[in-house]
Amino acid sequence: MQEAHVYGKYAHFAIGDLYTFLSSCGTTLTVTLISLFLGSILGIVIGLIRCSHNKVVCTVPLVFIEPLRNSPLVVQLFLVYYGLPVVTGTLLDVYSAAILTLSLNTAAFFSVLVHNSIKAVPVAQWEVGYALGHSKASTFIHIIAQQAVRLLIPQAITLYIGQLQCSSILSLISLRDLCRVGQLLTVRTMQPFIVWGIVFFLYYAISFPLARLASYLEKRLNYSY
Amino acid sequence: MAMIEVKNITKSFGSNIVLRDFSVDFEQSGVTVILGPSGTGKSTLLRCINGLEKTDKGEILVDGLSVNNKKNLRQIRLACGMVFQQTVIFPQMNVMENLIMSPIKLLKTPKGEAVDRARFYLKKVGLESKEKSRHNELSGGEQQRIAIARALMMNPKALLLDEVTSALDPEMTREVLNILENLASEGVCMLCVTHEMQFAKDVASRILFLDGGKLICDTGKEDFFYNARKENERINKFLSFIGD
Ligand SMILES: Nc1ncnc2c1ncn2[C@@H]1O[C@H](COP(=O)(O)OP(=O)(O)OP(=O)(O)O)[C@@H](O)[C@H]1O
Ligand SMILES: [Mg+2]
Repeated sequence: MQEAHVYGKYAHFAIGDLYTFLSSCGTTLTVTLISLFLGSILGIVIGLIRCSHNKVVCTVPLVFIEPLRNSPLVVQLFLVYYGLPVVTGTLLDVYSAAILTLSLNTAAFFSVLVHNSIKAVPVAQWEVGYALGHSKASTFIHIIAQQAVRLLIPQAITLYIGQLQCSSILSLISLRDLCRVGQLLTVRTMQPFIVWGIVFFLYYAISFPLARLASYLEKRLNYSY
Repeated sequence: MAMIEVKNITKSFGSNIVLRDFSVDFEQSGVTVILGPSGTGKSTLLRCINGLEKTDKGEILVDGLSVNNKKNLRQIRLACGMVFQQTVIFPQMNVMENLIMSPIKLLKTPKGEAVDRARFYLKKVGLESKEKSRHNELSGGEQQRIAIARALMMNPKALLLDEVTSALDPEMTREVLNILENLASEGVCMLCVTHEMQFAKDVASRILFLDGGKLICDTGKEDFFYNARKENERINKFLSFIGD
């Protein structure tokens, strides 16, 4: 019904459009943040499993990671939104489908970052932990984890920025995010340059400070072993 | 019973047999210097003793506990502190935290007591002013002295030292050797792999010479630097090569 409202009543920009933009910004941010949060948690778990020294255990997560990293997000989205209900018999609402897809996708990429960050801590740090009498778990918790997190943070922010931009794809299942509202308002106002200019600016305004933060942290947090 | 008993161990990496049916005992006192050309398995021997490497055959007992049993590893590692060639300071912690973290977490030492002990050992290695420093504010020699203090914090019965000075310049090497000489004079039991002949001559009570994964010579230092040198061409070559 809201879509009818946007299509029908106005032919040029109105004060209500400001609200439309802002609320769509809210949708983009909410869906993205929830997905990044869930995806990161799942990614940590999977990343830790990847670090196992058991050849079988550490390979299992690849079954999850590789398909998600090597297929377009839009295809994953359609598979979840249109395909999954055929199998499960229950329709997913747009929000759930969007969050589910983006979370899983984020988890796949995040787990690789977690794995790489842990591997990037020199083996010597582990050995000193063992030599002092720490178990593997204790060495990880007290010595390795903090170092890995510091290596992880800048990369994670960079991933998050990328995922925020990829979230625009979620508009393809009519999630009323920033990108979707851009499409709707363009159709209504016939002012694509202004509309997409604003959408462009809003994505940029969120991403750019984060990107700066990432490069700042990368310099600040990097250890010179 | 000797404190460390190495009984007929064999250790290989792939097809490269590094230690072959190797046996040796270490008593709980004195400084044993382990010498030998590069690649003969000196580091491997120390790493097998505290379970960083698994042996293929044979057994190592530390205080009567077998290294082959995973359950003993913690106790064995607490009994044998180890310091490595490459300096390793935990970069997320300052010097004090580097020293007290493990005693607090593993030995449940109260923090105040751990701090006092840390100050005692920092003084011993001449770094009482560096409590708050981070790894990137310390020279290589200072880092290595802190690593020694950190190992001592666990009250080990023996110190395994693997070429702890070979990554350092001569001045820093001297600083570290001075610390080790002091520890030796206090009767701390040490197993040192080193290429510092002067150090061996000064403090060693026993010298082991390894070559090709075998124990070629096991004797006191006087005997080693005079008799063994004359009798064994291999040892003579090694000592000449190293500039002694
Ligand atoms: N992790 C490993 N994987 C494969 N080979 C190894 C490994 N560690 C050691 N080796 C091999 O074992 C042999 C003995 O190595 P080790 O480090 O014990 O020698 P070393 O006597 O300490 O020599 P150096 O004086 O150069 O330190 C070498 O041939 C080395 O290549
Ligand atoms: Mg070595």
